[in-house]
Amino acid sequence: MDATFRRTMTSVTDLIFPVNRRKDELQHRIVPKNHEYVTNLPLQMALYFNTFFFPFWFIGCLVILELKWQRLDELYRIVLVAIYIVYFIIECIRLYLGYLGNLMERVPELAGSWLLTLLLSFPLIILLVANDNAVLLPFERALHIVMALFVVAEVILGYLAIRTMVDYQVTKYHLQQFSDMEQLEDNDYFPETRYTS
Amino acid sequence: MQSTGLVPARFLTIIAHLVLVIVIFWTREENIRACLPEDYTTSQYDDKDLEMLIGLSVTLGFFLVELIGFMGGITMFMNFQGLISTVAHSAAAITLSYFLFDAWPCEWYWYIFGFCSAFPALMEIIYIVGIMCFRKGY
Repeated sequence: MDATFRRTMTSVTDLIFPVNRRKDELQHRIVPKNHEYVTNLPLQMALYFNTFFFPFWFIGCLVILELKWQRLDELYRIVLVAIYIVYFIIECIRLYLGYLGNLMERVPELAGSWLLTLLLSFPLIILLVANDNAVLLPFERALHIVMALFVVAEVILGYLAIRTMVDYQVTKYHLQQFSDMEQLEDNDYFPETRYTS
Repeated sequence: MQSTGLVPARFLTIIAHLVLVIVIFWTREENIRACLPEDYTTSQYDDKDLEMLIGLSVTLGFFLVELIGFMGGITMFMNFQGLISTVAHSAAAITLSYFLFDAWPCEWYWYIFGFCSAFPALMEIIYIVGIMCFRKGY
């Protein structure tokens, strides 16, 4: 399952972050120095602080939900409980993947985290912030605003981080191909090892 | 330099204070009514409302200063400033909870503002100026 995940993430990353490779550009950036790293610091900070903020956000949400349970319609009771459960699971997964992917410079994990953030967390938190039908109390609104700021920051920073990382690693692999071309046999070439991990 | 717990603690107390200030933005009527006499006029209410609004907005401005200093990394690892900030903001979070739950009169907010918003922001500005201009802490 891990290999399938990597293959899927690699193909998605190729689709969304194409490497614009021009011959002269590659030759100018010929030397990726060995001590250079492409971990994105703002993204790492955002994920770190988000990890600390998330338990308190969740406890606050549960308390508020319990307080306003009587006033909610049937529909919003179900919807809010579903949203909180899904958000909890997704948040744990994406924070872990993002933290690990960014720190170890592993593109599949980081891409998975970014996709989860963009496709799941972002719509859900926008729904929580802006939906007045669900009896939005001020405390809840303040908590959701802080969380939404984190998610938006992670979407933007994640995009930049993945783009930088993909460019760097493809360049490095491309050069590595030339340096040890004698040792590279044809049946050893798997597309997903393009991202060194 | 064992400061590994201070950075998240500082962040969480700043966020707690921030969340409570935002809540007070939306629910200030009860506190304003607590500091006016029984028979208040609309103009008195509006005066006090404006006062509270100004106080809360300046608090948000000070938050911005402190967050720039903290998140921008300028004073993130300075332990003394971190200690001041953590203590001040956690005191503010506790007192603001009482402010909300017990419907304190709105004048008491200025005390909380002075000790717990203005003071850390002032120290932050002093540190930032010291780092930028006088190369302190390098």
